[in-house]
Amino acid sequence: MEQDEWAVTAELAALKLSEGEKKRLVKQAEQMRKLYLSMSSAVVDNLEPTTHASVVKNRVRKDEVKPFKDVDTLLDASNELDDRFFLIPNVL
Amino acid sequence: MNSSLKIFIGLEIHIHLKTESKMFCPCSAHYGDEPNTNICPICLGYPGTLPLLNERAIEHGYLVARALGCRLSNRISFARKNYFYPDMPKNYQISQHNHPVGIGGTIEVDFNDLGAKRIRIHNVHLEEDAGKMIHANDATLLDYNRAGYPLLEIVTEPDLSRGEEAELFLRDFQRLVRYLKVSDGNMEEGSMKCDANISINLPGRGLGTKVELKNMNSPRFVRLALGYEIERQSKLFNSGGEIVQETRLWNENRDITLPMRRKETPDDYRYFPEPDMPSFVSNAAFLKRIENQLVELPLAKKRRLQSEYDLKVEQAEFIHNDIAMVTLFEDTVKSGASARNVAAWLSSDVRKLLNRDKRTLADTPLNASRFSSLLTLVDQGRISGKIAKNVLKDIFSEDADPESIVEKKGWFQISDPNELGKIVDQVVSQNPDVIEIISGGDSKQKSWLMGEIMRVSNGKAAPELAKKILDERIG
Ligand SMILES: [Zn+2]
Repeated sequence: MEQDEWAVTAELAALKLSEGEKKRLVKQAEQMRKLYLSMSSAVVDNLEPTTHASVVKNRVRKDEVKPFKDVDTLLDASNELDDRFFLIPNVL
Repeated sequence: MNSSLKIFIGLEIHIHLKTESKMFCPCSAHYGDEPNTNICPICLGYPGTLPLLNERAIEHGYLVARALGCRLSNRISFARKNYFYPDMPKNYQISQHNHPVGIGGTIEVDFNDLGAKRIRIHNVHLEEDAGKMIHANDATLLDYNRAGYPLLEIVTEPDLSRGEEAELFLRDFQRLVRYLKVSDGNMEEGSMKCDANISINLPGRGLGTKVELKNMNSPRFVRLALGYEIERQSKLFNSGGEIVQETRLWNENRDITLPMRRKETPDDYRYFPEPDMPSFVSNAAFLKRIENQLVELPLAKKRRLQSEYDLKVEQAEFIHNDIAMVTLFEDTVKSGASARNVAAWLSSDVRKLLNRDKRTLADTPLNASRFSSLLTLVDQGRISGKIAKNVLKDIFSEDADPESIVEKKGWFQISDPNELGKIVDQVVSQNPDVIEIISGGDSKQKSWLMGEIMRVSNGKAAPELAKKILDERIG
């Protein structure tokens, strides 16, 4: 992975990285990429791609409402509230 | 405007699917609740939670794709569309990328004077809605009730070529989703949204530079925004100016489009398969269920209303616009009323009352049994057509049956010869001068006397009988 490619990824993830961090992370990301690439040596001829290890049947649920019991604790976990709204710095 | 330019318009339509619960969690999908009441760790994107598909949302998606003639996927899967904006607490939206519900459909749309045209559908895919953001002065308020609400996106090919066509397409599509009962399709209330893309070019040169249009909150605004853009881009094109690839917003106060603030970086969503959800495979039983929910589509309905019942274009147009109206029409006709008569009543008197009260038929107490008994009362000569209009008004305002309204108000026609004879005699004796003119040969005055008989009887005199008695009395 190249430096500039990494810069784009950081930008998309809204991460601000210092030059030192960039250097270090690019190196680590490259190691990971190589590790994943080693999988490409596996022989997959005549194998159907799957998304999950064992999909026996569709995982769906009926269209029924089951309200979450503890909604207010979700609100309490926020840094700042305005009435029941989550309050954040202006992002317009 | 240079009329030799070719115009390409495509639409991206989002509809809210009518479900009880959200797309991936069992939170209520009800509108208008207190902020942040319909939320849970799943739709707030807490680590370790797992989304689970709402079966009905998938069915609705397949049904729309089927109605639009798409190739239905036997396997659909979801993808993460990554973007950082606080309207999505997960920092990604679960959408569909490579395996949407349906691809490659077409739908025929009637553009009235412009003729019928087949519009190709690029794809139909499911996704989730984002939360609501309210921007205050130096802060932003977040309400995640809407986050995770099931959405269906329909993307057309750039087959439309005028703002008028886009508007008519949208109106037909609204009817379609209402017929299918999958969405309210109401752009003004936000249950349907539409973005448009438009490009112009010389014929034979393919697509031009694409401009995206957003912020149009009704089919009419879509027409106006496109009309404005066609004008603007044609002028630029013809004067050798450069059309910039950009997103523009419709400004409904100024009737113009304005460029949206440009982003520094192009969209890069880094789609990847949603690892928390396995694919959904549509088996034969599922597809059968979809097939069973398919109904006659609006355009076919309109054409059948004209051919089968011999209705005028405007009548068919009006009736087919509302599926409840179609049902009322067909049920009333089934009970024996004449189709043209029913259509005439619906497209004039019923329509006037609906407009007056700003209601839709489904919200009124008018049903097929009441409607057909009203028409029967007229057919049997028990009330006049004029009285019938009043009865209709009372059905609307009092939620009562026609028979009991007529009974209560004493509106049955006077068809007893004795009783009617007395009224005729009264009118004759009060108007000796008119009788004299008639005997002088001016028989036109007879209809004036008939008017008097109607007036004196409060519109209840049976006209045929009254005329017969009048003829007897004055020879
Ligand atoms: Zn939830």
